[in-house]
Amino acid sequence: MKPAQFDYADPRSVEDAVALLQQHGADAKILAGGQSLVPLLNMRLARPAVIIDVGKLRDLDYIRDDGDALVIGALTTQRSVERSELVAREHPLLAATTRYIAHPQIRNRGTFGGSIAHADPAAECPALAVALDMQITVVGPGGARVIAAADFFVTYLTTSLEQDEILTDVRVPKLTPGTGWSIQEVARRHGDFAMAGAICTLTLERGRCAAARIALFGVGAVPVRAPEAEQTIIGQEPNAALFEEAGARASAEISEPLADIHGSSEFRRHLAGVMTQRALTEAFSRAEAR
Amino acid sequence: MTPDLPKSLSDLPVTAPKWVGKPVNRIEDPMLVTGRVEFIDNLTMPGMLHCAILHSPYPHAKINGIDVTAAESLPGVVAIVTGEDAERWSRVGYTSPEGWGTHCMATDKVRFAGEPVAAVAAVSRYVAEDALELIDVDYEPLPVIVDAHAALEPDSPRIFEEHDSNVMYQRDFKWGDVDGAFAAADHTYTERFRWHRVGANPIETFGVISQWNPISETLTCHGSFQTPAFMALGRAAMHRLPTNKVRAIGQPHGGSFGGKGGGRGIDITALLSRKAGGQPVKWIEDRLEYLSAGGGQAWDRFYEASLAVNDDGTVTGLRVKLLDDLGATGEGFGATGAAKPMASFTGCYAIPNAEYDLTIVATNKLPASPYRGMGPPPHNFVLEQMMDIAARDLGVDPAEFRCRNFIPSDQFPYTIASGNEYDSGDYDAAMKKLLEMADYDALRAEQEQARSEGRLRGIGIVSTIEPGVFDWNAYAVIGQKGVGVPEGVSVSIGNTGKIIVRVGFPLEGQGQYTVAAQLLADYFAVDIGDVEVVAQDSLSAPTNFGPGGSRLAVALTGAVLGAAGKIRDKFVRVAAKLFEVQPEDIELMDGKLRVRGVAGGAQLTVGQAAGILIHRTDLLPDGMEPGAEATFVWSSPDRVPPDDDGRVKSYLTAAYACHLVVVDVDPETGKTEILKYVIVDDCGTRLNPANVEGMIDGAVAQGVGAALLEEYVYDEDGQLLTGTFMDYLLPTIHEVPATEKAALVTPSPFTPLGAKGAGESAIHTTPAAIMCAINDALLPLATRATEVPATPNRLWTLLQAAKQP
Ligand SMILES: Cc1cc2nc3c(=O)[nH]c(=O)nc-3n(C[C@H](O)[C@H](O)[C@H](O)COP(=O)(O)OP(=O)(O)OC[C@H]3O[C@@H](n4cnc5c(N)ncnc54)[C@H](O)[C@@H]3O)c2cc1C
Repeated sequence: MKPAQFDYADPRSVEDAVALLQQHGADAKILAGGQSLVPLLNMRLARPAVIIDVGKLRDLDYIRDDGDALVIGALTTQRSVERSELVAREHPLLAATTRYIAHPQIRNRGTFGGSIAHADPAAECPALAVALDMQITVVGPGGARVIAAADFFVTYLTTSLEQDEILTDVRVPKLTPGTGWSIQEVARRHGDFAMAGAICTLTLERGRCAAARIALFGVGAVPVRAPEAEQTIIGQEPNAALFEEAGARASAEISEPLADIHGSSEFRRHLAGVMTQRALTEAFSRAEAR
Repeated sequence: MTPDLPKSLSDLPVTAPKWVGKPVNRIEDPMLVTGRVEFIDNLTMPGMLHCAILHSPYPHAKINGIDVTAAESLPGVVAIVTGEDAERWSRVGYTSPEGWGTHCMATDKVRFAGEPVAAVAAVSRYVAEDALELIDVDYEPLPVIVDAHAALEPDSPRIFEEHDSNVMYQRDFKWGDVDGAFAAADHTYTERFRWHRVGANPIETFGVISQWNPISETLTCHGSFQTPAFMALGRAAMHRLPTNKVRAIGQPHGGSFGGKGGGRGIDITALLSRKAGGQPVKWIEDRLEYLSAGGGQAWDRFYEASLAVNDDGTVTGLRVKLLDDLGATGEGFGATGAAKPMASFTGCYAIPNAEYDLTIVATNKLPASPYRGMGPPPHNFVLEQMMDIAARDLGVDPAEFRCRNFIPSDQFPYTIASGNEYDSGDYDAAMKKLLEMADYDALRAEQEQARSEGRLRGIGIVSTIEPGVFDWNAYAVIGQKGVGVPEGVSVSIGNTGKIIVRVGFPLEGQGQYTVAAQLLADYFAVDIGDVEVVAQDSLSAPTNFGPGGSRLAVALTGAVLGAAGKIRDKFVRVAAKLFEVQPEDIELMDGKLRVRGVAGGAQLTVGQAAGILIHRTDLLPDGMEPGAEATFVWSSPDRVPPDDDGRVKSYLTAAYACHLVVVDVDPETGKTEILKYVIVDDCGTRLNPANVEGMIDGAVAQGVGAALLEEYVYDEDGQLLTGTFMDYLLPTIHEVPATEKAALVTPSPFTPLGAKGAGESAIHTTPAAIMCAINDALLPLATRATEVPATPNRLWTLLQAAKQP
């Protein structure tokens, strides 16, 4: 369980990091909090020739209020997001979501950007990104570009980041006032990656669902929205039967979930529906009538 | 021969014991919590090399050749060994049923994915692992057998070609008139069960530094050995060395639970050191190796059980048919786990007739190892499910049903059908206390309420035996012959009354050093801090075995008290001469030697008596050997080999426990949540109640893991799918319930101070209890969970099937 040999660089600016990426191409790998990459290195499942440790890019460690969104620097630890007063006040769903990532020890090192860039389909933050249409800023040799979450996650552990690009920040839209929210997941143990999970937001207007977002994780190669389930609710009067129906829709509309030893494809599909139903129920209980 | 050992705390030479029986803080802990303990990975030696092992990726393959030339030329590589070296310098393992052992590295073929094929010693572990990638092995894959039933087929591929089948062991034990009991019973019940592979996962994996001395032809091994003396004996046998040429030094280590057998690792590093001309070679097993190729897998079992029951609820017969999948070889004493259930075959119940139809089969999986409990936990799970099945059918409450079948408290010592003798107990009292503590009636009322709301609430109540103080005779039927497991210590007292006790086992975590110090502190009325425990290596320590089989606290108590008694006898004779009285007139009490019945007379302190024995030999009685020291080796009394039916008085003590657990099964997710957990246990005299409680807590955690989370999964190609802790799910603090506990104390009449073995503890009970609770929860759906662990997916599948019309 020792990594194969690699060279190590710790650039002090994003430009230097990008230059290094350009220089080494596919041989290089960015190291952030290391919580996913280091195990892969130790098992020799990843064997980059060069590790570019972005840990010294301290100016990518921030949480900023930008009016209708929070902007989070890629190197901000998951723990900082979880404990931020700004996040607690302006975005309780974001705070709640980070608490589902592993355990405090891991969140102390794991970064927000790393979680997005790693693109584990069972991870919570990528699902939140999809749920909220986060905007992901990446910097490459040609400067910065912004990628919508819907376009970012390509497949299992694969994103639309180019080899010579680095993720620098993520723009997290706030919920409109009065919007109810919930994150529900079922994992084998506390802190494990989810067997299936759902993130929902629900906005009420005159007793009806004016808007609803449902994102599912742990059920496919990437986190997905459940548009049919969303459409089931929008415009309707919320009630238990409706949420159950939406759950069933969500369960039906996802493509073949990945099976593993913890859950068959069929079971995960079922769980996605249950989590959707529970998340909608809780989101509704949090939504303020208008 | 044997000095009279105190049978109870009141027999100790102290007015009121100050240490024994009290929840004394462990003397091991200050060093542990301040990080001062030298674990094996902290240890480094001049010239030390690092070993990495090449493990076979194939579960079953012929080896046509191994090319190490590229690896040899990598800078930093010093030595490489393969099966050829193993054949030259060592022999096949002897810890298997006869004929089912192998060398420490594959010679002609590999039998499981993970089997060592070659090993490198290099200047660092990094270089050693790089070198592994340069070794070219020419494998010729063979058909793989993963399924234990398929392995029984006559045309199945053979794991060992020299045998005419894959069956390592088959025997049908019958005790009493089983067929008659089943024929005459009013009711019979039969069910099948599956217990998947689980096993030991100590926080520290195995590690060793071996050094071959080419001049003296001796082998020295430092390592995280559970039983250094036994390890040394094994290495001497494996490397064909005289037993006095192998020194095993047990480092303090982070638990074992049976998972640190480690024989292959020691043997491989020994071969490497030999090939490297005597440089020490270190191998620290990493967690990937531990999980796929180490001592962490046990108990891969298929059961069919039947119970014969009369209308009045009396159980008259028990049949258990076990197919035990031991994996690729029988190494590491894994097979003993199928024999041990005989030590408590019928549990807490007076079931006169029993049958154990036992088949042990080889497949292409990692050889199974011992695991805490050594085999009965799955058996108990089966027996307790059967008790519930019968109780339910007869409409009797499960607690009541058990009470009707308990061995009555006035019938001890009691010999069970399979031949072991239970020392003492009051099972009825324990059950009553349990129900009272848990407020059982209220729990049932809450359950009614929960059920009416559509929730799946279940209550599990079980009672189990923990056989304590293992004896080799328990394993004789499967070929590990021997009677007795001697444990020796040396005690010496200095001229200021400070005490040293020399033991043969390293610090492992259970707190036995504290127990030794408690005993001596009370025996000679000194402070516990005045007792120093010294762990000795295998060439220095008295005859000993060390921890294992819930034995050490009891055996150590016997050894320590025996040695203390011998010293006391010397002290008494010294004092008698000095005070000019007969030895019978002298007593040791509260640390003073004085003339019996004479208040305020002359007396000697322990330090003075020891001082005379060391510095005033002129004052000693004629012929007395100087020095205040003694060695005593204790072993269980009255043990003999098994009879022709395999019956044997094996484990000396029978601790027992009743557990009650309340669970909710989420009908939508299949997840089980533990809501309440209550324990009443009785392990006789509690030498250190805090130690016992710690043992229970840890064993409950392992039991929760076995019942709900842990499972080594192999795919049909023989590849392990749970090779990391991402997939092999150990319970964490979030999954383990806080338990409410109470103790009964029924001293053992057979042991010093009446203590019973308590080290393996609740793992005997917890899986059974949780599974009973789950099945109680599933009752309204008329379905039954028979597979362990009860994962969400499994329970959900059952629930789905139950919902189908
Ligand atoms: C025991 C355990 C349990 C876990 N449980 C969960 C869980 O329940 N939910 C969950 O979501 N996660 C979980 N994780 C993963 C953990 O949260 C990781 O921290 C996270 O996925 C990656 O963040 P990191 O900063 O550690 O990234 P690293 O491990 O350093 O990198 C991960 C990947 O992202 C790339 N990368 C990182 N930062 C950037 C960047 N700025 N630009 C471009 N590429 C980048 C790296 O090159 C690498 O490929 C768990 C981890 C462990 C060890």
